Amino acid sequence: MEEIAGNELAIEKREQAMLELADFDEVVRVYRPRILRFLLSSLTDRDAAESLTQECFLKAWSARHQFRGDSSLSTWLTRIAVNLMRDHLRSRSLRFWQKTRGSALDVMDISDWVPDGRSSPESLALARQRVATVWQAVEKLSAQQRTVFVLRFVEEMELDEIASTIGMNLSTVKSHLYRALGIIRERMGEAK
Amino acid sequence: MKFRREAATNSEPDATRDEVRDLAEALSLYRSAMHHVADREAARPFVPAPRPARIVGFRFLLAPALAAAIAAAALVPAYSHFHHHSDSGPVAKNGQPNAADARAAVDDTVLMNQIDSELSEDVPDALRPLADVSDQTTSSSAVTEKKNVTQE
Repeated sequence: MEEIAGNELAIEKREQAMLELADFDEVVRVYRPRILRFLLSSLTDRDAAESLTQECFLKAWSARHQFRGDSSLSTWLTRIAVNLMRDHLRSRSLRFWQKTRGSALDVMDISDWVPDGRSSPESLALARQRVATVWQAVEKLSAQQRTVFVLRFVEEMELDEIASTIGMNLSTVKSHLYRALGIIRERMGEAK
Repeated sequence: MKFRREAATNSEPDATRDEVRDLAEALSLYRSAMHHVADREAARPFVPAPRPARIVGFRFLLAPALAAAIAAAALVPAYSHFHHHSDSGPVAKNGQPNAADARAAVDDTVLMNQIDSELSEDVPDALRPLADVSDQTTSSSAVTEKKNVTQE
C-alpha cells in the first residue's frame, strides 16, 4: 500500500517537474538566483558565475527533452552547473594569469554585509570577522570540498541530494564535508 | 540509546561546545552574507568585464610584429638565392674573381667528378648476375621491338 502511494507521489512529482519545465521563462526566473549563488560561492568570480549561469540555462533549454523528472528541477539544474564549473576550473588551470581578474569577489564584499540587529559595534565587528574567516577558509578548500560545502551550508541541500547531484557516494560526500569543516574549524581557531 | 547520547553530549567539555556553537553561528552568517551578495548580483544587469589593456596591446602590437618577422624570414633567403643566381659567375664587379665563389665552384667540380667515378665503377661481383639479367632483358626487348617493326 505504502509502495503504491510512494510510486504515485513520485509520478506526481515527475509530472509537476515536467510541467514546470514547460514554462522556461518561469524556470529561469525562479532558479537563476539559486544557480548564480551556487556558482558565485564556488568560484568567487562575478563574471564567471554569470557566464556559467547563462550557459547552464542554455544547456538546460537544449536538453529539456532529455529531462525525465527523476530528480527535481533544482537538482537537475545544479548538476548541469556543477559539470560546467568542473569544465571551467579545468580550463582555468591553464589560464593561471586570470588570478588577477577584475571581477573577483572580495572578502570585503562579503564581510561588509552582516544581518542587522547586532547590539554593539563590537559584536558587529566580531560577526564580520567570523564571515571573513569562513570565506578565507573556503577559498583554501579543494574544488570538491568546496562544492560539497557550498551545497550543504549555502544551498542547504541534504547529503543524499548532494551525492546524487554531483555523482558521488554518500560516504565520499560525508568525507569531503568532514574535511572541509575540519579546515574551517582549524582556521577559526587560529583567528581567535 | 537516547540517554547515552544525551550523556555523551553532557560530558562534552564546554570549550568544545562553545567552539561548535561559534562554528554554527559563523556558518549561518556566511550563508546569509552569500545569499545577500548573490541576490545583489542577480539584480544587477550582466556586463562582461573589459579585457585588460595589457592583453589588448599585446594582441595589437605582437600580431604585426610577428607577421613582419615571418615575412622577413621568408623573403631574405629568397632574395639572397635570387641574387646569387643572377650573378654571371665568380667574377666580382671589379673584375677580380670572388674567392668564396671560386671555392664553391671548385668544390662542385670535385663533387661531380666523385659522383661520375662512382657511377662508372664496375659492378661488384655480388651484383654481377643482376647486371647480366638486366643486359639480357634489354637485349631481348630490343629484339622483340625489332621484330615488331619488321612485321609492320
